[in-house]
Amino acid sequence: MADIISIARGVFENKKADILIGYTKATSEGRTRPVIVRSADEVQNLVLNSSCLNNLATYLTRKENKGKKVAIVAKGCDIKSIVQLIAESQIKRENVYIIGVKCNGVKRSFEGEDSKKIAEKCLNCNVRTPHLADETVDMSDEGLTGKDEKAELIEKLDSMSAEERFAFWEEQFEKCIKCYACRQACPLCYCERCIADKSMPRWVESSPTKRGNFAWNIVRAFHLSGRCIGCNECERVCPAGIPLSLLNRKMVMVAKSEFGYESGMSADAPTLIGTYDLKDKEEFIK
Amino acid sequence: MEEYIISLEDLKKLADNLIKEGTDLFLPSPDNSRFVRLKKADELKLAPEARPSDISAKQAAFPKCDPVLFYKRDKSTVELKDAEPSANQVLFGLKPCDAAAFGIMNKVFNWDYKDNFFNKRLENTLVIGLACTYSDDYCFCTSVGLSPVSETGSDIFLVRLSDAQFAARAVTDKGIQFVKKYSQLFAKGDSSKSKPALESIKGPARKFDSKKVKDWLDKNFETDFFNPVGDTCLGCGQCAFVCPTCHCFDIVDEDYSYSEGRRMKNWDACQFSLFTLHASGHNPRDNQAKRYRQRVNHKFKYYIDRFKEILCTGCGRCSRGCPVTIDIGSIVTKIGNLT
Ligand code: SF4
Ligand code: SF4
Ligand code: SF4
Ligand code: SF4
Ligand code: SF4
Repeated sequence: MADIISIARGVFENKKADILIGYTKATSEGRTRPVIVRSADEVQNLVLNSSCLNNLATYLTRKENKGKKVAIVAKGCDIKSIVQLIAESQIKRENVYIIGVKCNGVKRSFEGEDSKKIAEKCLNCNVRTPHLADETVDMSDEGLTGKDEKAELIEKLDSMSAEERFAFWEEQFEKCIKCYACRQACPLCYCERCIADKSMPRWVESSPTKRGNFAWNIVRAFHLSGRCIGCNECERVCPAGIPLSLLNRKMVMVAKSEFGYESGMSADAPTLIGTYDLKDKEEFIK
Repeated sequence: MEEYIISLEDLKKLADNLIKEGTDLFLPSPDNSRFVRLKKADELKLAPEARPSDISAKQAAFPKCDPVLFYKRDKSTVELKDAEPSANQVLFGLKPCDAAAFGIMNKVFNWDYKDNFFNKRLENTLVIGLACTYSDDYCFCTSVGLSPVSETGSDIFLVRLSDAQFAARAVTDKGIQFVKKYSQLFAKGDSSKSKPALESIKGPARKFDSKKVKDWLDKNFETDFFNPVGDTCLGCGQCAFVCPTCHCFDIVDEDYSYSEGRRMKNWDACQFSLFTLHASGHNPRDNQAKRYRQRVNHKFKYYIDRFKEILCTGCGRCSRGCPVTIDIGSIVTKIGNLT
């Protein structure tokens, strides 16, 4: 099967897209970073391997890329966010050319012990073979393994009393510095003006105090409920090390168990938040 | 310079004394993500081989959010109360790229206005630096006038001699007074002890000429150079917030209720798109490339023009932590090679 460089060259030669969003080497070995290439002459530094951690779909909704025909290198989980963006009418299917990655899992982190483990999201992945793509490319299998430590933590949190759970999140959110890297990296945080940035009136206290951090992180969790596709970029980029996936995954679980809904799987199915059904359950609201 | 010897055990005793006296002690957290208060002295650890903590120590003098004043009001009166910053604090085991940052920020916080909050905190802070044996592809302290062994910004500077023993140099008057106060814990030493340890430290591989960087920036405000960076930069606040020298802040009033509230000084960042958005709707830095150009110019040109210092200690935090690995070291190296 063709490699990423020849595929990218083909995209430009056959005029499939105006720009291509892919991965290239970063300064250090073992890292990659996103790159936008604009012609066949620029494709030679593209790479594709288990260090391609970023979800590039976050660039699809940027002002400067709107209206363009964009080719994008996307793993299955990244494709889920593209599907969700189409379902939410943020991008048009015909404007994106998806180079789907047949994926064997990525590293948990670029460096350190976690770089030898497989990302937790990959352990239960149902989209290792792309579910929406214009062509596909193979990613090598580095034989990464690991355990889903977060699943245990979610169970533990579920078994706690409300007070204990509050204390857990209090300790976590205290660390938040309101850098908004979680929001900026998230493919589904695409609001032109985030509620956290509104000041007339101010809905979310801007200070990174206990109160302000609770407000911010809970608002974000709610705004991603039934929408988050679990790429885990928010948690990966958080400089404060807050385990944001505990919130998002719980919301994904609720969407599935209570509504049978899984975001990012079908661009044609109505979205959970965008539909209303008299039969919708409400017992989980406590 | 006076040099002493202190064992790890005695450093723990020192920490114990300080905690009992009510001094706040800060050092990198066990996961090395940020600086946290040391609760038990026997948990004191000094790790010269560790990478710089993900978030710098700047919050010791410039917290992420800081009350400036408190207010109360009713129909006819407004009552104001100044906020009073901080107790005494000791910062333990700062790397040179963290310790030097306070002096750099000091210039802007005492330029046209004296920032009492910053100054008071710094006055109440003792910095115990630590010679650093780490370095990776993102470090470049030696290209911005520092080094893994520079004492700039430290009141006391430690050099690890063995796992259990450190050389301690009293660098400033404050440091000398401190050693005097706890003299029973410090044994007399001399520089022959720390010399071999210091000489064995190689420092980061990245090298660039900061003068050449400035020369190019001086002449190239209008440029396409930053466009590829603008392509992928997400416009978050990570780089500024983890940085030991970034010092922008936002002033906001927070009402607790109609009659009570406080005014806060919170970290802000030039990479946010709202940072320069005018009330008219005009935004002079209307794309991410222009915002990143500002970041590089502020650090490697404007601050030098105004204060004769580079606004960067080469710690590499911004790049290591960047969600999309935009590496300021490699960017300014490229700039240096353009002239
Ligand atoms: S979640 Fe699936 S598609 Fe995404 S990186 Fe992991 S294995 Fe690949
Ligand atoms: S990335 Fe982490 S520290 Fe930054 S705003 Fe989000 S939760 Fe807070
Ligand atoms: S909330 Fe986090 S895990 Fe969910 S889509 Fe956004 S970045 Fe991915
Ligand atoms: S350079 Fe990196 S950390 Fe800084 S704003 Fe851009 S994406 Fe965020
Ligand atoms: S700009 Fe980056 S390398 Fe320089 S001091 Fe700030 S965080 Fe460190």
